[in-house]
Amino acid sequence: MKVVCDRAALVEALALAGSVVPTRTTAPVLGCIAITAADGMLTVAATNAEVGLTIGVPQVDIQKDGTSLVPSDKLTQIVRACEDTTLTLELEKSILHVHSEDAHFKIFGFDPKEFPGVKEFPEKASNCFTCSAKVLRRLISRTLFATAVENSRFAISGVLAEKRGKRLRFVATDGRRLAVAIGDVQGGAEEETFIIPAKPLQVLNKMVDDPDAMVSIAQEDSQAVFRIGEGADAAVLSTNLVEGQFPPFEDVIPKDQDKKVCFESAELGSAVRRAALLTNEESKGVRMAFSEKKLLLSSRAPEMGEAEIQVDLKSYQGDPIEIGFNPAYLTEALRVVDAPEIEIELKAPNKPGVMKVGADFTYVVMPVNLT
Amino acid sequence: MNETQRTILHCDLDAFFASVEQLDDPELRGRPVLVGGTGARGVVAAASYEARVFGCRSAMPTARALRLCPDAICVPGRGARYSELSRRFMAILESFSPLVQPLSLDEAFVDVTGSRRLLGEGRVIAEEIRRRTREELGLVVSIGVAPNKFVAKIASDLEKPDALVIFEEAGLASRLASLPIERMWGIGPRSLPRFHAAGIRSFGDLQQVDPDRLASRFGESSRRFHDLSHGRDDRSVVSERTAKSIGQERTFAENIADRDSIESILLGEVEQVSERLRRSGARARTVTVKIRFGDFETISRSRTLPEPTDLTMRLWEHARDLFREWARSGFQSVRLIGCSVSGFDRDTQESLFEDPEARRAGRVDAVTDAIHARFGGRSISRARAVRRGER
Repeated sequence: MKVVCDRAALVEALALAGSVVPTRTTAPVLGCIAITAADGMLTVAATNAEVGLTIGVPQVDIQKDGTSLVPSDKLTQIVRACEDTTLTLELEKSILHVHSEDAHFKIFGFDPKEFPGVKEFPEKASNCFTCSAKVLRRLISRTLFATAVENSRFAISGVLAEKRGKRLRFVATDGRRLAVAIGDVQGGAEEETFIIPAKPLQVLNKMVDDPDAMVSIAQEDSQAVFRIGEGADAAVLSTNLVEGQFPPFEDVIPKDQDKKVCFESAELGSAVRRAALLTNEESKGVRMAFSEKKLLLSSRAPEMGEAEIQVDLKSYQGDPIEIGFNPAYLTEALRVVDAPEIEIELKAPNKPGVMKVGADFTYVVMPVNLT
Repeated sequence: MNETQRTILHCDLDAFFASVEQLDDPELRGRPVLVGGTGARGVVAAASYEARVFGCRSAMPTARALRLCPDAICVPGRGARYSELSRRFMAILESFSPLVQPLSLDEAFVDVTGSRRLLGEGRVIAEEIRRRTREELGLVVSIGVAPNKFVAKIASDLEKPDALVIFEEAGLASRLASLPIERMWGIGPRSLPRFHAAGIRSFGDLQQVDPDRLASRFGESSRRFHDLSHGRDDRSVVSERTAKSIGQERTFAENIADRDSIESILLGEVEQVSERLRRSGARARTVTVKIRFGDFETISRSRTLPEPTDLTMRLWEHARDLFREWARSGFQSVRLIGCSVSGFDRDTQESLFEDPEARRAGRVDAVTDAIHARFGGRSISRARAVRRGER
């Protein structure tokens, strides 16, 4: 194999591949990535047995085909550290040579046959459906943040993907807040339900550059496979699905909120962030007192201090209410909501609050009991 | 007002668990309600005043309570709801003074000595507490106001329910004189006949007895009764609600090599620490086990939980695991075993999805706490923690 690469493009591809490679491995070969030059294209592949990925590297000049299996971290460090615009990679038996203007590196690699391989996109799968990269990114960013870090009761360390006809719904929860995002898709089977682990979704989010690119999504052998774009720059990510039961989320989405108010997302975000300054681990709730004309946010951290922030309300529907929330649950949602305005709906101080952006995003948060 | 005198309040919510159930379910109001276990070996954690008329009391077997009052409605406890209202009640008390010492979910001492200048006399503060408790929580609290804890607690109980009883310093002893000695803390059904046999039936009788004679007849610890009968008690109100950690440990006279025994003792400590944690109104994120073994080598093992908790069951699971991990890595006979909790969370986050296991555990904890509050420390324990040689 011999190929001249645009260094920046190579760095990007190696970074994505590197995020899939396990950091601690029992055998060095498991920390490797496979670089293949064939049919005029250069692809980088990585796998950790649960998630696999192949990415095309654009802007390359293939001079000789071949495959190299080398440690991901070392190659990435070298390519990053060089400052050249282009680098030449050349394979000699299993040693990968990296040539730059003023340097020459040799990395000892492994026999490519030892690479477990990465799943290819199942072109013929009948359950394959497509959506725009923009829609997929939005679905991911609006839900990923709400997944649970660990939970033994439910399968909530991943995002539930539910397809019904032309509608794809992503749902994530950590037991205290729940995010539901909806987007349009095309094709595929009428009904699909599967749970995607959080980590590969994070990687997927970074793989999607061009918002107009088409993403194809299919399932095969208890795995979900995503293909972004087509042709030389296509990237494929496959992941095991999360086994287990997703909690009964429909039941916890409130349907009888009787207190409603609209906010400018930026304004509410700023107010909550400032109130959060005077909270700590022990006393982390922010009190929100809603009345006809204004919202008063207050917080108190013992031995530290107190904060009070006032927000004028243009219109408030319903009786006054005082309710407490963990401010992080609010700011995390506001950060991913890319809309200038949001609606908040409440019912009672011990019942969940809802944040909405039209019909496409619903976010349910349980309150804290304030002392 | 006399500047050197203290003003202590004993605030006691009336029939707490039962009142909460009646508050949340209007159908139960005015009816006899029993909160607690409904199974064959169920125990009453609390009885509403309507049920008390029939003789139903907390810690009574439910079966017996139902014989006394067949029309009583039994409801299982809701630990989380009682904790929530207890926290809010304690918060009301704390707005009058930082010196709030909860004795259980529904009872607390408040030392308002330092608040008098700003907020008024004990009576004024007590009335305000009663008003706010009624308006903000929908519950009734009986309050005793006195120069010390002992008399304040007697006072709050004298005219329950819905009472405010005040004992001034002046004439305190003579006002206490007519009280029967059954009301003396520390004199229970077993010692009562012995006091009666000695001709001591009232506080007044105790006041007259020479303390040395009392001690020689009933033991050194009975000297205290003499002081208390005069209304003298200098214990201070201690607040655990701002503590950063709560712990308990025990040193043995001789090292213990039997792991089961050590675990039983650890469990007992976890139960007590959990109860104090619940009383302080917080949930804890970190459990620590302390072990001293061999030649005074002492180690601590900690674990931080994914979610803060106040459930005895959860804290015990982790404490036990920590002990077993250590034991696996090289057990030696143990001289001291202790546990503590830290990383407190006082604003409790609600959950979207019910956790029936946690709810059940919370119920058990609420009932256990109620029994302890009525009968003291070790009256009810998980079977495992009953120590050999003790009641």
